[in-house]
Order: sequence, then structure tokens, then C-alpha cells
Amino acid sequence: MAEYTPEDNKLALKVVFYGPALSGKTTNLMQLHSLLNPERKGELMVLETRDDRTLFFDMLPIGLKSESGLDLRLKLYTVPGQVQHDSTRKAVLSRADGVVFVADSQPSQQDNNANAFGNLEENLEKVGLDIDTLPLVVQFNKRDIPGVVDEAELQDRWSATPWSPLVMASALRGSGVIATFRLLLDRLYTEVDAEFELAARHGIDRNRFITRLSASDEVDLA
Amino acid sequence: MRNFEDDPTLDDLLSDDQRQRLNRALSALCREPVALTANRQENAEPVEFNLETVGWLSGGESAAERRAASELVSFLLLFVAKYRLAANLHHDTTEASYAELQRQNEALKASEARFRELSDQLQQRVDEQVEVIRQNQQDLYESSRLRSVGHLAAGVAHEINNPIGFISSNLRVARDYLEDLRDIVPDTEQNRELLADFNDLIGESADGARRIAGIVADLKTFSSIDQSGYTLCDLNELITSAIHLLQTEYHHQLQVLEQLGDIPRISGNPGRLAQSLYNLLDNAAQALRDAQKGSDQGHILVRTVRRDNQVDVLIQDNGCGISEANLGLIFDAFYTTRPVGSGTGLGLTVARDTARAHGGTLQIDSREGQGTRVTLTFTAP
Repeated sequence: MAEYTPEDNKLALKVVFYGPALSGKTTNLMQLHSLLNPERKGELMVLETRDDRTLFFDMLPIGLKSESGLDLRLKLYTVPGQVQHDSTRKAVLSRADGVVFVADSQPSQQDNNANAFGNLEENLEKVGLDIDTLPLVVQFNKRDIPGVVDEAELQDRWSATPWSPLVMASALRGSGVIATFRLLLDRLYTEVDAEFELAARHGIDRNRFITRLSASDEVDLA
Repeated sequence: MRNFEDDPTLDDLLSDDQRQRLNRALSALCREPVALTANRQENAEPVEFNLETVGWLSGGESAAERRAASELVSFLLLFVAKYRLAANLHHDTTEASYAELQRQNEALKASEARFRELSDQLQQRVDEQVEVIRQNQQDLYESSRLRSVGHLAAGVAHEINNPIGFISSNLRVARDYLEDLRDIVPDTEQNRELLADFNDLIGESADGARRIAGIVADLKTFSSIDQSGYTLCDLNELITSAIHLLQTEYHHQLQVLEQLGDIPRISGNPGRLAQSLYNLLDNAAQALRDAQKGSDQGHILVRTVRRDNQVDVLIQDNGCGISEANLGLIFDAFYTTRPVGSGTGLGLTVARDTARAHGGTLQIDSREGQGTRVTLTFTAP
């Protein structure tokens, strides 16, 4: 949950990259770290890995300071995708303000996607969050691999859900990563503004919120 | 409680000892000593971690030196914080997992207790069913045995009835002849004795024939269990006449207390009901005689009472009672404790089967030397 500390005039938000194992959550975060150029950007902490598999989580803090002095922080987390790390996933997911679900576009991974999404629903409920109101963006990654499921088919499959349209991405090549992040920021702004009056009290409107947190020198390849 | 993701303070990351050691090492590298502190000092350079200022670096020869030292500390803190975050997360998840395990353990225990209870109930139900089946088998066996005994008895009764009929009739004629003989033969001492003895012989024989006829009547009642012919019977009326018969038999020496309540008529065969009631009353009277209790001590209590949709008939005596060993045998046909000739051993069997044929039950409670209580229960119409 967004946490506001009045004495520091600080608002801390939390976004979690969720998804099946090996779908590219950490790659998303690494790309954001190298592509983004927001006002403030911390170190990317890759906590611990074994054979390039996340064991705990990765974390990238970014932030901005409004003219009114609001210190806005956004911490981006990834969770370990492997089934056995469920308790870690739950711990990282708790108090999230937004979720990016990174799915794998390969046909062989569609069951894993469904299982991981089911696991997300389950864990959100366990940590007291509502999947229907939580800002959530679904990204289908690995579009660079040949033979992936057709985009039209994926979009059609998800068209009846509140998370349509999906974002297509190739995190390895850096395409679609920023587009995913911006869509998440857009949905996140609606919730945060409703609760903390970002525009009215701090002079941060939707456009500023998105552009200043996702400023990039490079052109998104999406 | 702090969460694993809360921004760490300098104290969280470095202990006092570690900070002093770091200060010493940094000071050795710099031209002038430097110090890392949690609070802001004059001319201090902020040390950042995760966009947070976690401490301040003061001292040094120049601002550039402080910046360089601060940069080095930030770099070091990144690794310290990584470990701290991983350790905190591990601690949090372990605690959560443990709590979850405990919750599951409790749930498992509760479910196990529930299953154990269920299993116990199941065992109890199985035991009850087994008992019902056993009882049904026993009843089936008894009723088939009684039916075959009944057939035999009916046959024997039919065969005996005719000879007994002409024996009784002949004995009556023989006694008339004896009177005639008395007028004919010379009146001597020897002849008088002979005739008196003859008279006794005929009397005893007639008495024996009457008893045989009684046994045959019992057998016929016993063997006609399945016959119908039901009317509405007034149990109180049947009881009153049975008591009259009994008093005649016992020369009005019995003390019988009648407590006949207001009970509805029941559908039944009045002859068999009367026979059964008489049997039970006769048993009570004999129990008093066996206990050698006179009319001043021994008494029979007869009570009828309506209870909900049931009619209870209670016949109670304070006679000799039935021993525990004999209680299991009393319903067996032809079982009797009385001397040969004084009972057929069919009385209780007839009474119980009559009660069953009328949809009722017969229950006996007895204690040897104290008395016996027989309870007949019928369903009120």
C-alpha cells in the first residue's frame, strides 16, 4: 500500500513484476535501469541468483521531487518465478500498489502463464489485495523468439478481461519495456491521485507523473 | 513491526564497531581523518543508499575527498544492504511459513479429531446394527422353533383329546357303577375298605384326567398363536375375570390389589389375552406359595395405566422371585421349575407370544427372594 510519511513529505509506492519462471522479469528491470532516465534513479539491486535464476528479488528505486516538495518514490521489485519460492513471492507482493505480469509468448509456456496468473490471484487475495481494483498490466514477452503465439490471438483471448490490451515486448532487446511501464504508471496514477490528490495538492498531473518517472534518452523500440 | 523492504538506517546496516573500523580505514586512505555519522555534521557530504540519505561523511581535507569517501561508503553499503534485505526477507518468509505450518497443523489436528469422532460413531453404529441383526436372527430362530413345537403340540393335543374324553366319561360312569355296587355287595369290613379305596382310585384318576385336559387346553392355546379373530378388548374386564378364576382356584386366600386405570380398548383376541393374563397371575400366586407367604404378607399388585400412546399392564408379586440363572430360560417352551405335573412350562411362552402377536411386549424384572414384576405393554389404538 502506498505509504505517505508526512514529516518527510514522502510518498513511497511499490510495483511488482510477477510472472512464471524464466519469463524475463529481471530482464525487464535491467532494461528499465539502463533505458530510463528519471529524475532520480537508484542502484539496481540484484539480490541473489543461482544459474541466473532469481532467489530472493531484484529491486530498482526511482523517484521524483515535486515543486511542492513531495518526495515521490517508486520501488520496482521482481519476484522469483519458480514454483517453490511461493512464500517469497507472497512476501514481496504484500503492500504492492501495482503489478506488471510478465508472460512468456512461447506456445509451450501458455500453461505456465495461466498457472502463474492463478498464483498471482491467489496470493493477492492472501495478502489482502483485490485483483479487480489493483493497477495491473499484462506483458507478453519474448516476441523476438520465432514461433511465438500470434498477437491477434493473444489480444483476442484477453479482450474480455480488464487488462486488455496486452503489451507485446522483447525485454532482451529492450522493446515494449518502457511502453509496459508507462501503461502501468497510467493505471497507477488513477489510484494514487484518488487517494493522495497528486494533481490538486502536489501539482503532479497524469502526464507529469508518467513522463518524469519514465523519461528516457532512447527511443522505445516498440 | 518493520518490513523487510523498509529503508534501512545506518544503524541497521553497520554496528558501532563496524562503523569505527570503517572510519579508521577511510581516514588512513584520506589526507585528513573522516567520520561517517548518522546525523548531519557541518561541511558533511550525504551518503546515499537507494535514493535515501542514510548518513553523513564529515572531515577530510577537501570536499572532493569527502565526496570520494562518501562514494566509496555508498558502494560498500550496497552490498551490506543486499545481505540485510535478503536476510530480512528470509526471516519474514520463514516466520510466515512457520505460522502457516502451525495453522495447517491446527487444522489437521481438528480434522483428525473430527475423523476420530466420526470413526467412533461409525463403530458404535456398526455395533448397534450387528446387535439388531443378531436379535432378529434369534427371534427368527425362536419363532420357527416355536412354530414346529406348536405343530407338534396341536397334533398331540388332538390325539389326546379323544381318549381323555372317553376316559373322563367312563370314570364318571364307573363312579355311578360303584354306587350301585355298594348296594349289591355284602356290607362287610373288607368290602367297605375295598369300595372306599376304589372310590379314591376313581377320584384320583378323574382328577388326573382333568389335569391332562387342562394341559391339552394350554397346548391348544399355545399352538393357535397365528389364529386371528380380533375384536376390541377391555383389558380391565379380562383382568377382573382372570382374578376371579384365580381366587376360585386358590380358595379366595390371595390378596390381590387392583389398580385399574382408565385405559382404551385394544384390538385383540380376548381368549388368548385372558389365558395369558391368567397364566401371569397364576405364576404370581405360585411364587407367593413357593415363598411360603400367607395372605397377610404376600400380595399381588395388578395395575393398568395409559402412558402416551401405550397401555401398560403391570403384574407384581413379592414372592420367591426368579434366580439370575433361570431368568435366561423362562421364555423357553416347556421350561419349568415346578414339580412334574404342576405346570407345562408354557405359561410365559404363551403370554409373551400373545403380547407379540398383539404388537406389544412383555418384560420381566425379578430378584430372587424379593419378587417379580411383569410388564405387558400394548400400543393404544
